[in-house]
Amino acid sequence: MKKISRRDFFSLSTKVGAAAFTAGAISPFTGLVSVAEAGSHGSKSKITPFNFVVVGDTHLYEMPNHRFDKTFDRAIKDILAMKPKPDFVLFIGDLAQFGKVKELEKGKKFLDRLEKAGIKYLIIPGEHDWYLDMGKTWKKMFGKDHWSFDHKGVHFIGLNSILVEDYWTAKNMTPWERMLAIAELECHVCGLWGVGEKQLEWLEKDVKKLRPDTPVVVFTHSPLWDFYPRWNFQTKDAPQIRHILSKFEKVIAIHGHVHQVVYNRTGNMVHIGNLATSWPWPYPPVELPYPKIRMNRVDPGDIYDGIGFATTYIDDTFLGKLNYKTWAELLPDEVKKGVLL
Amino acid sequence: MVKLKTLVLVGLASAISAGVTVFISSKTAEARKPFAPEDLKLMDEELMQLVKKGDELWHSPKLGKNGLTCANCHPDGANANPHTFPKFQDNVGKVATLREMINWCIERPLEGKALPEDSEDMKALEAYAIYMYRGYPLKPGDNTREYPPVKVKSGPGYP
Repeated sequence: MKKISRRDFFSLSTKVGAAAFTAGAISPFTGLVSVAEAGSHGSKSKITPFNFVVVGDTHLYEMPNHRFDKTFDRAIKDILAMKPKPDFVLFIGDLAQFGKVKELEKGKKFLDRLEKAGIKYLIIPGEHDWYLDMGKTWKKMFGKDHWSFDHKGVHFIGLNSILVEDYWTAKNMTPWERMLAIAELECHVCGLWGVGEKQLEWLEKDVKKLRPDTPVVVFTHSPLWDFYPRWNFQTKDAPQIRHILSKFEKVIAIHGHVHQVVYNRTGNMVHIGNLATSWPWPYPPVELPYPKIRMNRVDPGDIYDGIGFATTYIDDTFLGKLNYKTWAELLPDEVKKGVLL
Repeated sequence: MVKLKTLVLVGLASAISAGVTVFISSKTAEARKPFAPEDLKLMDEELMQLVKKGDELWHSPKLGKNGLTCANCHPDGANANPHTFPKFQDNVGKVATLREMINWCIERPLEGKALPEDSEDMKALEAYAIYMYRGYPLKPGDNTREYPPVKVKSGPGYP
């Protein structure tokens, strides 16, 4: 991430925001609890309501005019057409398919279109960006893989959640073989990933001085709860992360990687998964914690079905509303109305 | 067929000549003794070789031209729903077999060339998809939902 842009762009004015969010706990659907009604709880809030976009899992290949270029392009165009403009765009990992320089460069060109239009973006890595050269190109291009900033009264945190233990040295794998292995969702030599000790220490320091009523949003590539570890629909040290963040009244956690609509709650945290712009994953062989928040079956003949991105509105009480932006009949009516966070 | 009929007739004749009440059970028509455990093991190994080949193809970009593999959309074979075939496929406009659907995926999402339906590669892909759904009851024609594959804790998902 460019150092100047974030500091210039995001207000550092306050780390304190009231977090009245009780209405959100009643139902995750806006149809049942209105945002306006929920807002009445938070008269002392210091949040100025705003919108941001979450996009990711673009999985760009280096070949030109690839189908995933078309779908990412459509998302970028839609974001550029948003009125009002989103305050920022969060890219939630897996920009590239195999972490190749050309793939990442292609991705950066897409993202730079946002910046040229005056929309800042922030980015965290996914495993597909990382394991060819262990994040070297990605870091050169985008800077830190974990960060935080304050914006309009909300504390935002981004973490690199895809760090695994060395599975390649003992097997004498080349960087390419290492990459190909982890590029498979069902990789059976890679093991579980997480953020690791260093980031846990950093996180602890980062939130140390924040008051419990600070509204916190955390972004990770993978979910901060055990959904289906077989596909790394998990983060190994999520329990520690949740523990560190448990001092807050409410935390909104947004993740990518699953390429599907999924929602959960743990303690003080609300978790939601983002769609990919590349392809959808089928649901794993486990029950969804909130079965109504799901997506429909996908038409494999339509390259725009099963994919999309999300816009998120944060109101002055720290009630969030996430709307999945899709281009086909993917969402059940209830989900179409937006999901309360 | 001729051989089996002859066996049944011989069986019947010998049963009648022995003066016992005749029940035509499956055993009457059995052509051979049950397989010995070591034979079963060998047969299973043959199948697993095909499944393994299917797994490799399932994860190989060589079936297509755009870098995608079957596993991009179907990790562990997920949402292949092999036990629901044959069924009317909306995108094909007719009743399709699993092999026809595999070729549809190769030609469309993977932008590749269809495999001959009786090829070893096709058999291997089919074997992998079905093996990842072992234990499911057959539901030909079921278009109501997607089914997850078997739960896999570790390894490739087969022995």
